Amino acid sequence: MQHNYGFFEEETLGDVKDAQLWRRILRYGRPHKRNIAFAIFLALTVIATGLALPHLTKVAIDQYITNDALARSERLLGLSHLTMTFLLMVVVGFVANFLQVTLLEWTSQNIMHDLRQRLFAKLLQQEMAFFNMTPTGKLVTRLSNDIQNMNEMFTSVIVTLFNDGVQFLAILVILCSINLRLALMMMALIPFIIINLIVFSRLARDAFRAIRTQLAMINSFLQESLAGISLIQHFLREDDAVLKFKRENQEYMRKNLRQIKLFSVFLPFIEILNSTAIALIIWYGGGQVLRAQMSFGELAAFIAYMRLFFKPMKEISEKYSIVQSAMASAERIFQLLDRDPAIPGGQRKNGAISGQISFTDIYFSYKEPEPVLAGLDLTIAAGETVAIVGTTGSGKTTIINLLERLYEPSRGRISLDGHDLRGFDLLWLRQQIGLVIQDVLLIPGSLRDNICFGAEVSEDRLREILVKAQLTEVVRQLPQGILTLIGEGGYELSTGQKQLLALARVLVRDPMILILDEATANIDSMTEMLVEKALRATVRSRTSILIAHRLSTIRGADRIIVLDRGRIAEEGTYQQLFDRGGLFRTLVEQQRLQAAK
Amino acid sequence: MSPSPPSSASTTPKIQALALILPLFRRYWLRVFFGIVALLGVDLCQLLIPRVIKLSIDGLKSGAILPHGLFRYGLMIVGLALGVALFRYFWRNLILGFSRLLERDIREQLFSHLLMLDRTFFQKRTIGELMALSSNDLASVQLAAGMGLIAAIDAIIMTVAVLMFMIYINPTLTLIALSPLPLLALLTKILSGRLHKRFSLVQETFSNITEMARSTINAMRLVKIYSREEEQTANFDRLGRQYIKHAMRVAIIQGLLFPVSGLVANGSLLLIVIVGGKMAIDNLITIGDFIAFISYLFMLVWPMMAIGWVANLFQRGLTSLSRIQAVLSEQSLLHDDGCSATLPASINSIELRALNFSYSGQQGQGLHDISLTLTPGLFGLVGPTGSGKSTLCHLLARLYPVTEGSILINGVDLNRIAIKDYRQAVAYAPQEAFLFADTIAANIGFGRPDATLKEIEAQAEAVGIHDEIMHFKGGYTSKIGEKGVMLSGGQRQRISLARAMLTRAPILIVDDGLSAVDAGTEQQIMRAILEYSQTNIVIMTSHRLAPLAQAAQLAVLEDGRLTALGQHHELLAKNDYYRAIYQKQTEPGGGEADAA
Repeated sequence: MQHNYGFFEEETLGDVKDAQLWRRILRYGRPHKRNIAFAIFLALTVIATGLALPHLTKVAIDQYITNDALARSERLLGLSHLTMTFLLMVVVGFVANFLQVTLLEWTSQNIMHDLRQRLFAKLLQQEMAFFNMTPTGKLVTRLSNDIQNMNEMFTSVIVTLFNDGVQFLAILVILCSINLRLALMMMALIPFIIINLIVFSRLARDAFRAIRTQLAMINSFLQESLAGISLIQHFLREDDAVLKFKRENQEYMRKNLRQIKLFSVFLPFIEILNSTAIALIIWYGGGQVLRAQMSFGELAAFIAYMRLFFKPMKEISEKYSIVQSAMASAERIFQLLDRDPAIPGGQRKNGAISGQISFTDIYFSYKEPEPVLAGLDLTIAAGETVAIVGTTGSGKTTIINLLERLYEPSRGRISLDGHDLRGFDLLWLRQQIGLVIQDVLLIPGSLRDNICFGAEVSEDRLREILVKAQLTEVVRQLPQGILTLIGEGGYELSTGQKQLLALARVLVRDPMILILDEATANIDSMTEMLVEKALRATVRSRTSILIAHRLSTIRGADRIIVLDRGRIAEEGTYQQLFDRGGLFRTLVEQQRLQAAK
Repeated sequence: MSPSPPSSASTTPKIQALALILPLFRRYWLRVFFGIVALLGVDLCQLLIPRVIKLSIDGLKSGAILPHGLFRYGLMIVGLALGVALFRYFWRNLILGFSRLLERDIREQLFSHLLMLDRTFFQKRTIGELMALSSNDLASVQLAAGMGLIAAIDAIIMTVAVLMFMIYINPTLTLIALSPLPLLALLTKILSGRLHKRFSLVQETFSNITEMARSTINAMRLVKIYSREEEQTANFDRLGRQYIKHAMRVAIIQGLLFPVSGLVANGSLLLIVIVGGKMAIDNLITIGDFIAFISYLFMLVWPMMAIGWVANLFQRGLTSLSRIQAVLSEQSLLHDDGCSATLPASINSIELRALNFSYSGQQGQGLHDISLTLTPGLFGLVGPTGSGKSTLCHLLARLYPVTEGSILINGVDLNRIAIKDYRQAVAYAPQEAFLFADTIAANIGFGRPDATLKEIEAQAEAVGIHDEIMHFKGGYTSKIGEKGVMLSGGQRQRISLARAMLTRAPILIVDDGLSAVDAGTEQQIMRAILEYSQTNIVIMTSHRLAPLAQAAQLAVLEDGRLTALGQHHELLAKNDYYRAIYQKQTEPGGGEADAA
């Protein structure tokens, strides 16, 4: 059962005749040419043995069982020879079938894995603006369901189309060779079957889709109700929730009943056609036997082949809709694969940087026409500590986003050590900046893994970092100390503890530029004080940018920048700004007033 | 409405689980009965078709048949096929329909039951687990009650009937031809059991991939900032390879399962050709018998596979059913038994007497020996992270029952007040501001479905979010969530607060409800809260002291103990913790070197 995290995509149908798309899909199979060729060979073997069996039965009946001309012993001998061949065929068919299924699955899974990896890597290169524009569910679907659709096409569809197509043609040839007129009669039934199956598979797909959507509705309703259950209980809304749930549940059942009805009309119809074919064989073929134009064995074989005749047709038309949705998936996947990231990185990787940063006449907006930065000019000297303050939405965090090149300014130039930011290698650039923000990315693993984040750290240094980040006490309380597994399924750290972890992480990397963006917002005041004290030396020796709501925490900055409506309104030291009596003073007094009350 | 099953030790959980669906069989017995009758009809018609084929072939062999007779046989076959189609239409609708009705009824029962359970239960079970009950487990119950039931009955009827026909033709040949078939049932059972297990592993890995993709995309900013691209890709690759491994394990079983039926059936066919062929040569059976025998054999292949398959299906269905039953037999620790006391319309005191509390797991800080009395007015609760502030809020909101010590409302023991009555009297804004994927108006009016838009707007105005709401394209009718407006943490908190305050309940609990709100707005909200507290009891926790400075009473919690009680200036004088954080948060001139 899949829950798409509340996201449903309108399923679209691809064009099955799109030759260019087919070529591109098949190109992914090229590295596996040998496997595919072998699978085709195996498929032919399976078909050949499958078709040989009714033939052998026919030979057994005609040449030995009903052949009164031969002596009894000869008939028995012939029969036993025939059964040996029969046995061989059965075993060969079985083995070939098994090998084919596993080989194709292996090949297809590898192709899909390769595609998924490429897609994932491509996704990681995209700029942040792209992720803001595109709902997460949509991108997740690319990596999960869309790839799955294509896999299904590779394994089941291409196989069945190939196997069943070949088998169908082979049976047709055999039927014609046994008895041309009877075979032609059978062929007259084909259009009925095909039309029936295509109509059915289309209706069935629609019904199935409706069911799936409704199930997703139930699931997201259930998920939400369970997540908010204490509120539902608290505000006495249980009856209302049950009523809504009943409605969705009833609808789900109704859709299922519709599907049942659909199947119970269409599936028996095939059976009727099948029996009609047998009736025709008996009536017409029997007449031919009476007129001695056909043997018993031929009649029996005809009946046996008819059984095989219907299966491939059924499968082919069933798979048609899978092909359609797989084509649509392929198109969506390729679209994403073809997308070039809007923020390409450069080549430059300076050996060591001093950390001088300047923003010149920067304009930026997340969503036109609401400008966030409008003509920002800011230069931060190497080693300077700058605090940025301003009301919510004044653009504090945006400055960081631009410096990290998560977004690109629409106008203006940002430089590091005098070099345009766009010239730097993206990964290298981001490694130079140590950013502590409110959100913390936990990786599955121990606390130690999470602190070191892949870097080699000596035990002594780690201990020192733990002390600085006020984590020693936290580690002491953990059941397995620093080796305790944290995050999902492991020990649950509090928000404040996670922030301390993020701090430790930056200390491990020891970058030349340090940015603290509301880094201590969820830490209680006592701990915060200790953290600040411990970090003082680190901050002093680096270019540092501080962003904080609580103005008392930024007093030690060399310079304070007050942002208002996307540009710098005031700047100076704490005392200078306070004395000037502008926006900064208002902010300080607001906080002080509140506290004093 | 929940049945309280007597937990007699003699009945196994699986039998108890069956007790869950028996009433449903009783409710829909007519449907099931006629479904089975239709199934019998299908089987009968299907069995007669080979008889007709045999008759016509024997007629041909003996030459005693005329073209006219052949035509009649042809018509009979078509007629029987129509019968099959008609009866099949009925059983599909009746029995599969029954399984869907059953699914609906159980799901409804499950949901209603879940809504009655308390927080202790929801801490034991994750949402994912409970969702799986409603989706996966219920699906396997439905499958067992629908296709499983049909396949079982069908397999039994077909096996018996086909066997009878075969024995009628020739008992010895029957015995010989059938000897490999039990092997098929056995192999199917083993393989399909394995298949199911391995397939669930595939699904699990698949959802791991999905989950990793989702969390990576959601944390994209962090991934980029920390330059984690390579590691994430490597982890994703590892998951993908795991997926291939599990998918291959499924493919191996699938590669065996379906060919195995062909293998066994062809083995039987081989025996028929050898032994039956010899019999036909010796004229012990007719050639018509011989061909019909082959047809019957193929008719047995499916029932034999079905027996193996159904055995697994029933087993899984029963296991799932007992999992559902386990949840349905859970009882809420909060119940109305012995709740005779009525709650007065106005509440003028809450008294905590020697209150002790501990969670069953290690989820949070417990409480030790808390005694205090609350009267209308603002009551502030401060203390370090993990000191038990939220726990106290939970107890006052009655999310957990009071087990040691007592809480008295107007002198009446809380445990003796009916749950609904008490909930009506308490409004609660929890620490995590949870909003429903509904309109903003519906979220604010959640506790008061009868509220007019005017009242909702006035409340939104009071918590300083009205203007922001009006900025959204749909105003109050904007939907919240991925498809609608995305709200900031501060906006969520204010809507959650508005929801609680709109109820005008005599007790209001706000658990750290302003942490993401900026200073200016906070002031405005506090004015509204203070006004509310004129006539009502308001309990509020906060990390920041500023909003609580005007509280009529303040309490400091440390390590689950009440360490100080009094007004702002009293606490400043007598409590070290309070004084320290106050200085830290307010003194603009102090701690020059503290910054950065």
